[in-house]
Amino acid sequence: MRGAVYNLAIPNTIPSSVNRVSRSPLSPRFAVQLSFALLALAMAARATDWSGPEQQLARKIVAVTGPGAVALTVENRSSLGKRDSEIIQNGLRSALEGLGIRFVNAEQAAATVSISLSENPSSYVWVAEIRQGAGEVAVVMVSAPRPAGSTTTHESVPLSLRKISLWTQQDPILDIAVLEENTTPTRIAVLDAENISLYRLQAGKWQQEQALGIVHARPWPRDLRGRLIPAKDHLLDAYLPGVMCRSSAGAPLTLNCRETDDPWPLVPAGLSGGSFSVFPSAGSSAAAIPPAGAFFAPTRNFFTGALTPGTSKFTTVSKFYSAAMLPREKYLLWIFASTDGRVHMVDGMNDQVAKLGWGSDLTSVKTTCGAGWQVLATSSGDQAGDSVRAYEFPDRDPVAVSAAVDFQGGAIITALWAEAKGDTAIAMVRNRETGSYEAFRLAVACSQ
Amino acid sequence: MRLFDWRSLVVSSMVIGALAAKAETRPQYGGVLHVAMRAAPASLDPADLGPTNFVPADNAQPDSFARRSLTTLMFDTLVTTDESGRVQPWLAVSWQASPGNQRWQFRIRRGVKFHDGTPLSAEIAAASLRAANPSWNVSADSDSVVIERANTDPALLAELALARNAIVKKNPDGTPSGTGPFHFTGWQPGKMLILAADENCWRGRPFLDGIEIEMGKSFRDQMTALELGKADMVEVAPEQAHRISQEGRRLATSAPMELLALLFTREAASPEEKLLREALALAVERGSIRNVLLQGTGQPAASILPNWMSGYGFVFSTDADLPRARHAREQVHTVPAWTIGYDGSDPVARLLAERIALNAKDAGLSLQPTSAGSADLRLVRIPLASPDPWIALADVATLAGKPTGKAGGAVEDLYASEVALLATQRIVPLFHLPVSYAASVTLNNWTLRSDGNWTLADAWLGNGKP
Repeated sequence: MRGAVYNLAIPNTIPSSVNRVSRSPLSPRFAVQLSFALLALAMAARATDWSGPEQQLARKIVAVTGPGAVALTVENRSSLGKRDSEIIQNGLRSALEGLGIRFVNAEQAAATVSISLSENPSSYVWVAEIRQGAGEVAVVMVSAPRPAGSTTTHESVPLSLRKISLWTQQDPILDIAVLEENTTPTRIAVLDAENISLYRLQAGKWQQEQALGIVHARPWPRDLRGRLIPAKDHLLDAYLPGVMCRSSAGAPLTLNCRETDDPWPLVPAGLSGGSFSVFPSAGSSAAAIPPAGAFFAPTRNFFTGALTPGTSKFTTVSKFYSAAMLPREKYLLWIFASTDGRVHMVDGMNDQVAKLGWGSDLTSVKTTCGAGWQVLATSSGDQAGDSVRAYEFPDRDPVAVSAAVDFQGGAIITALWAEAKGDTAIAMVRNRETGSYEAFRLAVACSQ
Repeated sequence: MRLFDWRSLVVSSMVIGALAAKAETRPQYGGVLHVAMRAAPASLDPADLGPTNFVPADNAQPDSFARRSLTTLMFDTLVTTDESGRVQPWLAVSWQASPGNQRWQFRIRRGVKFHDGTPLSAEIAAASLRAANPSWNVSADSDSVVIERANTDPALLAELALARNAIVKKNPDGTPSGTGPFHFTGWQPGKMLILAADENCWRGRPFLDGIEIEMGKSFRDQMTALELGKADMVEVAPEQAHRISQEGRRLATSAPMELLALLFTREAASPEEKLLREALALAVERGSIRNVLLQGTGQPAASILPNWMSGYGFVFSTDADLPRARHAREQVHTVPAWTIGYDGSDPVARLLAERIALNAKDAGLSLQPTSAGSADLRLVRIPLASPDPWIALADVATLAGKPTGKAGGAVEDLYASEVALLATQRIVPLFHLPVSYAASVTLNNWTLRSDGNWTLADAWLGNGKP
């Protein structure tokens, strides 16, 4: 048997499109020139060769009319743009002329040909209706594949929150851990429902090093969530609902998964007094924050609310989807996105409830900007998709300190976790235009 | 002819779907969803869906969008299609086709269990497909299902994604068992279906605890139930969709997927009868009927496949041509009086039948509306089986007693098949209608696909407040 038409997806090795933000200031004039150059390049790249279907349709028309005088109309009924439509119209005219057709007014024509540029979900469909005298209308048509188009949007965020594309794949991404980096990540681990996949950047391309299968006896819950935590004495741990996996220390790596209700860590290890060999700069200078964890419901998509250790008098809070911490001078303020849609602010003595209109994913990052800590919170925007915004809490009311950052393709944010160092976060999104899943590093920038 | 941009409908549908799908919070577990529907199926067996089981005179509507959607709550197919029509693995994890697309091998997903705990096996899947498709040669080979067709069949994958090909295990008591996200706990045929979440569903337990579906409800009763908070999701009559959207309700609308047509109950017996049928097709004023009786919903149609599906539908003129209709009528000496049947439970069907009878009279034809079971021709709503134009056309052809026996090929071949089917004068297309549903503000993350089917596996109930 041959002719395989489909097999299980092979993990993608799509090169990461790291956002290379130029550090040198551009003059306005150069910027304009660059914009025009990029626009021209983009237009050239989008130009499609229609000559095949043009020739094909022309031959079919001439097979009916024969060479001679013809009145031609072309109508665009498809999603083709005006430019493409005109290109095709010119191409069809040339092809018909090449086959002996002369274009005349309807009164002088032996035949009238009405071409409609139409489409169906998979193809462009070009239909020619040919009328000769009082006879029946002859219909001929051709089809051409529709290329998958994409639009690019870019929001110029004046300051604060930058997004850097890390990874794209077809399967949902639960979390990504950057294991090694120079100025940009050079080795990453990608957690999805069935695997932890390790990739290394080699010669500008991501190459898969290894895929470690996640063994689990029970079906995963819908809206599956998971975390990847780099470790000090071995490569990493993975937390999934009811399952924890621990990798071995050295190559070749192995993964040992077991059913457990062990709590998931809430404090990035880089901030809890530990430092990682892969991030020698992290942790050592950070004020140590005591490790804290929370129990995750093994068959659901939320934390049960049980904390370990508790925060002063609270060992249990409302069930929550995500948590962020804000160190204060004398205490630690925890902010929980509860399953009831409200935000709980717990300082060890009080549990203050607020309805902030945020989404269910939030985390905090420690930076050198502003107050030093920012909460990154998701929100559901309009039809443009979800967005993330940075907030500070001078007191108990959040103050937005960045513009909302959204994602290409009307994306829906599926996860938002702080990275191990604690100064950046990773947002996982589903691109509704392409259906693929993408991961972005979110970094707070201080300057305008 | 006015150029209709079907994309506006789909965009509208997508936007509404997107609003429904977008969640400010993550999905919440719990709650029972209440759904009302007009269809009143007497059986839950997916194999009862399909063109050969379509009985226009039967108000139970064996095949309907709601019925198909219902099936996917309890049962899974080997493959599924995404919104772009691309085939995706489902109960089969991979597949291979031999050269010529006559022999297909599907590897079955491991670890899947039916609601009664029985593991899914290739044998059960093969038996299920054999029962649904007696003409297919289906066998089990280790962990794979093998399907062999007499002819090349490039549309097999799209065919397998249809609800009627869902994998069913028949229990000893005759009840069907599936692998879908819900299993039934209560079933009164034609009246009520009660579903409970399957805790061990291979795709994960659904967020809803259960779904209660009331069947056989008129559009009016459904809307009343929604307004009173007794239903969370209801069907909306095509002619009501515009009004309901203007009232600011949450409305989701599919692409035009339903064919409203006149279906003659027998083949034309003579060339003269064909001329009379042609006269009737030319006499119907589709444009004004749409504007008045359908309140601007749907599109006049003279083709079986909507333009968005085929790309060439505009070629078939929908304009009434009374002079031509009269000319065709005048070529026949003896004109019989026909009866036109309609579904008495469909509030707009009687009006449509009466209006078509008036148009027929203008052309010199005699058409008597009746809601009785037998009639010379019937006004029927045909849910197109699939966004795949070949499958959709083949189903309508089967319904009209003219199986095409062909699938796949160039768009010109599709056009030729459709022209040949229309030339039989067995069916007169009138309109392509979208499918619309209204939902309460508490229902989140439900999707109405462009093919008219809804999915509730990932739906959840919130408090409805922003």
